[in-house]
Amino acid sequence: MKLLIRWSVLAAALALLIVLPWVAPATLVQFGISTLMLATLAQSWSIIGGYTGYASFGGSVFYGLGSYGTAIAMIEYHLPFGVGLILGALVAVIFAVLVGLPVLRLRGHYFAIATLALAQVVPAIVSNLEIAGRNIGLILPLLKNDALFYEAALGLLVATTISIWYISRSRFGFGLMAIRENEDAAAAMGINTTLYKTLAFAIAGFFSAMSGGIHAYWITFIEPGGEFDIGLNVKMIIMAVFGGPGSVLGPIAGAFLLSGISEILSFKISNVASLFFGFVIVIAVVLMPHGLADLWHRYKKLGLRYFSENIRENRV
Amino acid sequence: MDLILEARNLGKRFQGLVALKHVSFGLVRGEILGLVGPNGAGKTTLINLVSGTLTPTNGDIIFEGKVLQQPTFRRARLGIARTFQITKPFSGLTVLENVAVAALFGSEGGKRNLRQAKQAAQQWLEFVGLDQRLSMRADSLGGPDRKRLELAKALAMKPKLLLLDEVMAGLNQVEIDAVITVIKKMRDQGISILIVEHVMKAIRALCDRLLVLHHGQTIALGDPSQVLNDPAVVEAYLGRKHA
Repeated sequence: MKLLIRWSVLAAALALLIVLPWVAPATLVQFGISTLMLATLAQSWSIIGGYTGYASFGGSVFYGLGSYGTAIAMIEYHLPFGVGLILGALVAVIFAVLVGLPVLRLRGHYFAIATLALAQVVPAIVSNLEIAGRNIGLILPLLKNDALFYEAALGLLVATTISIWYISRSRFGFGLMAIRENEDAAAAMGINTTLYKTLAFAIAGFFSAMSGGIHAYWITFIEPGGEFDIGLNVKMIIMAVFGGPGSVLGPIAGAFLLSGISEILSFKISNVASLFFGFVIVIAVVLMPHGLADLWHRYKKLGLRYFSENIRENRV
Repeated sequence: MDLILEARNLGKRFQGLVALKHVSFGLVRGEILGLVGPNGAGKTTLINLVSGTLTPTNGDIIFEGKVLQQPTFRRARLGIARTFQITKPFSGLTVLENVAVAALFGSEGGKRNLRQAKQAAQQWLEFVGLDQRLSMRADSLGGPDRKRLELAKALAMKPKLLLLDEVMAGLNQVEIDAVITVIKKMRDQGISILIVEHVMKAIRALCDRLLVLHHGQTIALGDPSQVLNDPAVVEAYLGRKHA
């Protein structure tokens, strides 16, 4: 019965999201597209950062590679959008495997720093490539159909989430969680840690790149600074962590809520919006450091004591 | 003799420090071989060499007739399981999930789906007496229960050879007796065991033979009662004055 309620709520929410572009004003649909993409990025990050425990700052690289891959396939080779999207994602997957093999040998801070370096280096390389339009950028064929982009972004988010749901109950997913909790013990248990980490990195790369590809076609004009925006990493990580990394729906909730708050703040009090946004994050970290998913599960049992326990745990 | 594990002239150096030197021994299938010696004798180093955490500087380790050279996870799949002296639980997972991971991988990796793995995990947790704590997070367990969890995880891997690194340290008399019973049951299931231990009661109760290391070298190998009365062994443990 409880399961039935949960599934019907999910189905209703999904139905609402699907019909939104036909009933909502254009600005809301555009806000919806970027939010859905950010949610996909937060979900992708959760695979490598949440389930596997490797805090990657390289998500923007995958996003940018997907974006540029799609653009180049469409402009240079006149391929249809769908094919370009897949090619862009493949580029990101190959990149994830090649770079992941050495970089995933690093742990903790060192892994984070190495991926952050990638996030700086790759756009520098791309802005010197003739085929990528150097630092001037590329212009894609114009398609003014926000409803279509919205549905594509929603479809991608659903596909990403179903994949994560499947992973979370699979042998592979348990292997990833074991790596997160203790990599030496995981190896002693018979888990091929190198293979598993690389796969997780590649899957995260695949979905991030798809998101980038949709973004490129939607936004029409792409340039390295926008598509490889390092700030994206911070956004996707904050959203995933705020929602609950390593939970199936947490990062989506985090992305929707934080996007909403950020949008309302910048609308109401434009110039100090980011200050208030930072304030929201700090409050969230102090009161619910394990994310919305944890709040959802444990608030019912603990009530307001949930917050006081977290404050104590944080030693604020 | 049917040897499941054999070390031939095994040596390990960490830069200038010689941790193991010319160590040779055989572990008969179905046997419990005790590995004893004072702190720093090289016991854990030897366990790490067999499990694949470290690679030997010289010499060979032979498992079921083949030289071991593969990485740790492949050795686990061959049937070598270990516990860690400093326990390494998957902290954020529940007790049941911890053992389920072992049942999903280990030597029978891939044969079970998640539900079957959890069933198997529950059985092993009953076996070590931890079935009251299935849904607790592993990091909320106390010291003795963590040791039990290590045992259950190693068992759920369905090993042929079990490497136990001080599973009794920090346990009280009652708990030691319980673990001794569990280890005897393991042997009865046909698992060969290499056990590092300081608790003399456990050594006497369990070990078929003893290997004594001192400064990385073998100083005695044989029947426990003889070995423990060997003057060289007594001296290594207690110093010259007491010998």
